[in-house]
Amino acid sequence: MEKQLTGKVYDIQGFSVQDGPGIRTTVFLKGCPLRCPWCHSPESQQFHSQLSWMEMKCAGIDACGKCIEACPRGAISEGKTKKHPTTQENIKHITIDRTLCDNCGACTEVCSYKALYICGTDYTVEELMERLVKDIPFYEESGGGVTVSGGEALSQPEFTLQLLKALKERGIHTALDTTGHANFKFIEQVLPYTDLFLYDLKHMDNDQHKAVIEVGNKLILENALKIAQAGGKMQIRIPVIPNYNDSEENIKKTGEFCKELGDAVTVVQLLPYHNLGVMKYQRIDDSKKVLEAPPPSEEKIASLKKILEDMGLPVTVH
Amino acid sequence: MYDNSQFAELVKNNGQADGSTRKFKLSPVTDRVRKIREKYRSSQPKIDIARYKIVTEFFMENPQLQGILKRAKSFKTLCEKMPITIYDDEVIIGAQVTTYRACALYPETSFHWLLDELREGSIPNRECDPYIVDPEEAKYVLDTGEFWVKECLSAKVDEYIPLGWYKHAGNGVVTFGVKNTSMSPVGHFVANFEKAINKGFGAIRAEAQAKMDELEGNLFGDSISQYNFYRAVVIICDGLITFSKRHAEKCRQLASVESNEERKKELEGMAEVLDWIMENPCRTYHEALQCMYLYQMSMCLDGQQHGISYGRVDQYLGKFYKADIAAGRITHDRAQELLDLFYLKVAEMNKIWPYFATLSGPGYTSGQLMTIGGVDRDGNDATNPVSFMMLQAAGRLLLHDPPQAMRVHQGTPPELWEAAIETTQIAGGVPTFENDDVIIPALMERGLPLESARNYCLIGCVEPQGCGDEWASPGGNGTESYWNMVNAFLLAINNGYNPMPDRHGAMHPGQVGLPTGYLYEMETFEDVLEATKKQMEYFAKWQVSLVNSWEYVAREHMPLPLVSATIDGCMESGKDVMNGGARYNSTGNAAIAIGNITDSLAVTKYMVYDKKLITPRELYDAIVTNWEGKEELRQQIINEAPHYGNDNEYTDEFVKWASDVYADTINSSTGPRGRWSAGLYPVTAHVLFGWITAATPDGRKAGDPLADGISPVQQMDKNGPTAAVKSVANIDQKKFGNGTLLNMRFHPTALKNETGKEKLKALIKTYFKLGGMEMQFNIVSADTLRKAQEKPEEYKDLVVRIAGFSAYFVEIYKASQEDIIKRTELNL
Repeated sequence: MEKQLTGKVYDIQGFSVQDGPGIRTTVFLKGCPLRCPWCHSPESQQFHSQLSWMEMKCAGIDACGKCIEACPRGAISEGKTKKHPTTQENIKHITIDRTLCDNCGACTEVCSYKALYICGTDYTVEELMERLVKDIPFYEESGGGVTVSGGEALSQPEFTLQLLKALKERGIHTALDTTGHANFKFIEQVLPYTDLFLYDLKHMDNDQHKAVIEVGNKLILENALKIAQAGGKMQIRIPVIPNYNDSEENIKKTGEFCKELGDAVTVVQLLPYHNLGVMKYQRIDDSKKVLEAPPPSEEKIASLKKILEDMGLPVTVH
Repeated sequence: MYDNSQFAELVKNNGQADGSTRKFKLSPVTDRVRKIREKYRSSQPKIDIARYKIVTEFFMENPQLQGILKRAKSFKTLCEKMPITIYDDEVIIGAQVTTYRACALYPETSFHWLLDELREGSIPNRECDPYIVDPEEAKYVLDTGEFWVKECLSAKVDEYIPLGWYKHAGNGVVTFGVKNTSMSPVGHFVANFEKAINKGFGAIRAEAQAKMDELEGNLFGDSISQYNFYRAVVIICDGLITFSKRHAEKCRQLASVESNEERKKELEGMAEVLDWIMENPCRTYHEALQCMYLYQMSMCLDGQQHGISYGRVDQYLGKFYKADIAAGRITHDRAQELLDLFYLKVAEMNKIWPYFATLSGPGYTSGQLMTIGGVDRDGNDATNPVSFMMLQAAGRLLLHDPPQAMRVHQGTPPELWEAAIETTQIAGGVPTFENDDVIIPALMERGLPLESARNYCLIGCVEPQGCGDEWASPGGNGTESYWNMVNAFLLAINNGYNPMPDRHGAMHPGQVGLPTGYLYEMETFEDVLEATKKQMEYFAKWQVSLVNSWEYVAREHMPLPLVSATIDGCMESGKDVMNGGARYNSTGNAAIAIGNITDSLAVTKYMVYDKKLITPRELYDAIVTNWEGKEELRQQIINEAPHYGNDNEYTDEFVKWASDVYADTINSSTGPRGRWSAGLYPVTAHVLFGWITAATPDGRKAGDPLADGISPVQQMDKNGPTAAVKSVANIDQKKFGNGTLLNMRFHPTALKNETGKEKLKALIKTYFKLGGMEMQFNIVSADTLRKAQEKPEEYKDLVVRIAGFSAYFVEIYKASQEDIIKRTELNL
């Protein structure tokens, strides 16, 4: 039998209010070619399924500890003892040696508390659609729809294409949340089925872009222009990262680029950096570090907003 | 403390700093309003015995009087003797007490509990709703209180408990016991304010007098009961008119010694208003406001304060506002100030409850619900400027009381939507949203004609009722009107025994329910459903039987001529509302724990009968031993089995099944005045009842809170608000004429900009299109609530939605605070 096309999904979120117009359900696909230090969804980066551990839910070794025995590779052992944040009880936690763990999931099967779980589930387009059509009454009332996000959804190009096609067949408004770092042929494929691109512009300076995110911005900017030329609509998203891209100069340049894209741009969204992702790193890997910085001040955001507005661009802040 | 800097913050959070285009803007309160509001938030409530003294003397001196004449004369005596109190800066005046923010005592309804609590000396130190008690006054009450122990309605009701009930008490489904069964009776109604305002009690008195004259000497058949009803109406009209004129007199007295010229003139103006109103039809906005307040306060003085609601306030006031503005008699700002002052008067009214009952309605709430918007009798949108002013008052005063409910329909103006969503964010859940498209047909189904149904208002928490022409008795007999669904399930799988140990650790001894067998004897899931249905129907019928027996006694001892004087139908029929005099009649009930019974059924089916992961015996043992040594199983049930609230047919089938079994039984029952009407809402009874409910198969431990309203069980809705809303919409809400309640909580960041608010509106509208009846919100983060627990003094004004009402978070008790925090934080 031919293997059915599947996509690796790490989350499906109903009532997403920041991912395009109206009430939306967002599908998050796993895997991303970029490594933004401020990424608040670290579980979105790897293309494979990953073992996750939520400290809050774990009963600890004394009360349970079954995962230690269940692990065929001996990757789980005794870790630190910590106070539970709400019950204040001392709990002897586990620790996972990520160099030994191969994400087989044996430990998750014995974890009644669901503190251990595998992040990343394979869905066929049909399976996913079954879930997404359930929210049609909300899409209809609010002018919403489905947003396909990531990771980088275009890194699973065939699945994303088939999913967007299926959504359009049901008359559902579609948005594709993308970094723009993809081969244009994949973008071209999805264009007819994508009502709106949520398009990230992180930095206008190629060197800065490369220095921090590990890839340059050339492809991203080129693709944006091509989408505009092809008649695609774009909601430009600028993550505002303190001391990285929040200079007046960079925002001005970003604005100028948006002007160049012309009518294709429906709105420019400023997404102030927040540090809510810090906790999530711990779930998949203790050793990774995320950018920890204070979020930009309201005044800062207001001044950046004004710069863009003065250029005649429609701006919102999330 | 509420000051201008906080207001500035409020305005900023209200979004005006970001140059938004919104039209609804909060404007600063006037100085006098600010002062009174500060006094309100810094005064600790006290017990006030002025009323108690007057009624006790009256009842002791008049044992010869009974029934309706006793009630009427008791009220008139209060009108003649109650000291008149007018505080500084007030314009709308009157109080049923002599100390600011104090509560009156109502010994006629039930009294043993107050005597017990006074003897214990616990009232000033209660965890929730403490009251200052003056030792001298406590002594007076204790010295005279024994008189009431047998004189009160509760004692009289106890004598009439049906004999068969004695073997069922303690079942945990129906909360009637066999003693002190009527703790807080006859609240939850709305009088006909339009008549009080537009007709006046002078004309009503004349009508009653004419009826008496007609009957005088022709008292054939049972017309003597009509005659005595009209006689009572004349007495209460005299009382009200006297009361109003005494207030006018007091204003004049104060004016005569007032040195500030402006205030002197104001007091003289108030005297003119009070001399005129009650007797005559109101002529101005100020008169209509004062008349509404004085009539309402009098009803609270007469009966007791328990969900006595105001009805459609914007509809009463709109025409007066427009006429006054057009004639240049009042400015908009002055009209808003008067409305603010009126709201603060309502907020200051308190009622002490038995401590136990306080736990189901904490935060000094009296449930004087007001209704905004909706359609008029002809089906046109009824929004007027006062609708907006009511939201403005709630928003800028940050008041939890009076609660407000906003009716919405297809033609609700976007501006009113915007104002309401804005307000619900600021003033923790005020207003609630009510769906005309479901409620109007639900009321017609229980017998209201279209025009009357269109004129509905909300009572107490969420109970729809014809405004001024229906006696729907939505609170049944008072505190005992809740019905615990999930306990019917527990009795069903435990052969009619209540698995909840009593306070001493022993099981309730008797077989309090039907002998339906044990779970481990049930071979198929159909057997479980059948047993559950039997117990549910059995106890729903008992609920009806007991409230009907209560009404048999209450209509003799607690008639309400003061209310009957205005409610449509009573003057025509010559009958009191308690005797079926209103044009339309019904009796309401409220079931709780629908989330738990749904999950219990689904989990039992999934774990035992479908997937066969455990035997019936294992599940049974886990429940009766409160999951002892079964934590893993409990976690498996919580994490793997299907739960209600996730748009999942497997469980949603049972929410429909259980709600239908309950509603069909209740709705097909009748009472002395007419049909019964089912409801699904808990106030905070879900916390309270949780304490006395054994472990349930859904993974809930004994003593933990039950599910709130029709919401999914706490933290079990894992697919976000759209999925939760779709699950909930499986309940056929048109069957619940007595109201349903869906409380949702959002993180404030979700709604911080315009699109977030539009999306919230779309969520409400979708729910309503899917058949939802009511929706209310808490837009606050768990983080903020935790901080408020740690530093209550800094969060004194944080208003949260409890269930049927809102309260200051810092004033509710710990278990209820925890429940609010625990409820799924729907993070967008």
